[in-house]
Amino acid sequence: MLNGLDIEGNSPLHRMPVRGKLILLFTAAILLLLISDLRILVPALALTALLYLSTGIGLKEAFRRTRFVLFTVLLVALANYLFHSVHEALVVFCRLSALVLLAAAVTATTGISAFMDEITRLITPLERFGFVRAADVSLAVGLVIRFVPEIFARYGEIADAHRARGLRVRPLTMLVPLIILTLKDADTIAMAIDARGFRRH
Amino acid sequence: MTTRDIVLVALFAAIMVVLGLLPPITLGFIPVPITAQSLGPMLAGCILGARRGSAAMLLVLLLVAIGLPVLSGGRGGLAIFAGPTAGYIIGWVVGAFVCGLIAERLVREDQSELSQFISFLVASVIGGIGIVYLFGMPWLAYMSGKAFFETAAASLVFLPGDLIKAFVAMLAARAVLAGYPLLPQRA
Amino acid sequence: MDIVFSAATVAYGARTALQPLTLTLAERRIGVVGLNGSGKTTMARLINGLVKPTAGTVTVDGLDTVADEAAARGKTGFIFQNPQHQMILPILAEDIAFGLKNRKLTKADIAEKTDAILARFGISHLARRRVHELSGGETQLGAIASVLVTGPELLILDEPTNQLDLKNRALIERTIAALPEQVLVISHDLALIEGFDRVLVFHEGRLAADDTPSNAIAAYRKLAAC
Repeated sequence: MLNGLDIEGNSPLHRMPVRGKLILLFTAAILLLLISDLRILVPALALTALLYLSTGIGLKEAFRRTRFVLFTVLLVALANYLFHSVHEALVVFCRLSALVLLAAAVTATTGISAFMDEITRLITPLERFGFVRAADVSLAVGLVIRFVPEIFARYGEIADAHRARGLRVRPLTMLVPLIILTLKDADTIAMAIDARGFRRH
Repeated sequence: MTTRDIVLVALFAAIMVVLGLLPPITLGFIPVPITAQSLGPMLAGCILGARRGSAAMLLVLLLVAIGLPVLSGGRGGLAIFAGPTAGYIIGWVVGAFVCGLIAERLVREDQSELSQFISFLVASVIGGIGIVYLFGMPWLAYMSGKAFFETAAASLVFLPGDLIKAFVAMLAARAVLAGYPLLPQRA
Repeated sequence: MDIVFSAATVAYGARTALQPLTLTLAERRIGVVGLNGSGKTTMARLINGLVKPTAGTVTVDGLDTVADEAAARGKTGFIFQNPQHQMILPILAEDIAFGLKNRKLTKADIAEKTDAILARFGISHLARRRVHELSGGETQLGAIASVLVTGPELLILDEPTNQLDLKNRALIERTIAALPEQVLVISHDLALIEGFDRVLVFHEGRLAADDTPSNAIAAYRKLAAC
């Protein structure tokens, strides 16, 4: 039910280490936000579009994934056109679209578990300050993926129960039992985790 | 955090993901469809409290970042954080925290129903709308280049819809408090 | 392995879930019966430290469940009433490997132990399956595998046949009978514990009978009738 957005492949971006990709994205973001010269921004947009397509994602899927964010970019560009100038609109459009496409390219070439491994490595130094435990974070991510299908099925059951009792399926009368029934499982699940000795205090 | 807190945070995040999988609800009188998912920061704060609520939102953002399509409409991935509206999403975390903080201070189990309703509404409006906009609007303005003022002002069209969400969150939070109180445990 | 209760008591505020219990268990197959709310689950949870005694002590192989919590817990495994709730990670093999994490094992060691336990219970073909899609019997076997992979000496099962059909009931009965580990089973399924070494009957928070299966079950029937 929950599949990652990564695409199988062997493009240069696929082969790049996760940390490298994140540094690349971060650096590109800062540069793009500092530059307002269309002579750089237009080629930058073309380059990121090519990079995104080089992941082997295919035009249709590439567009489907980014259309919502690109739509907001378009609105922002439109505002610049209406209230300022075509030039400003183009600057904003190229800058933000390039950023969105580069980010989408990183996502398309990075598997969930590789990304999680990198996150775990990045937060491990924070453990010393007592903020967070890397093992707890990956446990939480695993729990979400584990329980989403079950909660989704429960939503269906609650909807059926509504119909069986001749009630209309209303957002509020669905939301409340869904939340209560789900969170009530927390005690048993927590106990099961403790019983298996995963978190040593 | 105890193991139970971690599980509560994860289960709440999972509920948010499920709400994103469901079709959005359109209320007759406003044009923008309401996704139950965007109730997230208000519900998280009002139901789980400040720490666990903000942790649940942070977990959802982590799932988005690592490339799971968990936002409504199957959106996900780093592109979400690169867009001009990323500030609103980031605001979820702090919004849930503030919402939880207010709810923890104001809501008592032995209060009258009406005071609980009002407390949850105040928490949802300040945390779930005020704080979220406080993060969303400057970011949007910054990303908008020269038209920063106009886009920030335009984003206020969502305010009526968000006020309705605060109202729904208030009703849901109070019903959950009555059925399975978690907020008073102050974690 | 000896499990020793010394005046172990559990009270929640004014309500006493378990009256002071003094008892030594060393048998290989121990059954526990009792009506709902009789204290039998509380007693079982005391053994692996999920519930702490409010007075008295419980030791497992000489380890105190409060003072030596982690070490004592390592000696016992627990199967919950609804084993779906104890499957923590999405894929069965991942879930089994979960119990081995945080134990300073290499990835290869973890994989090897996981494969071995799957094979032991004849469920290697389920390794990559999603846990929420497993059938009742498969879930129960998977849960047992996920608990035994860490090598506890005692396995506690809370109503293991409760939600199963007749065929899976028989499968779990056979599986439990074949376990080399010490076993403590809480059950309303009297057929399951008939062949055990010792059966405890709990009633209203007290140990009401402690006998051979046939005598204990007779005492239980008498208690349940009134």
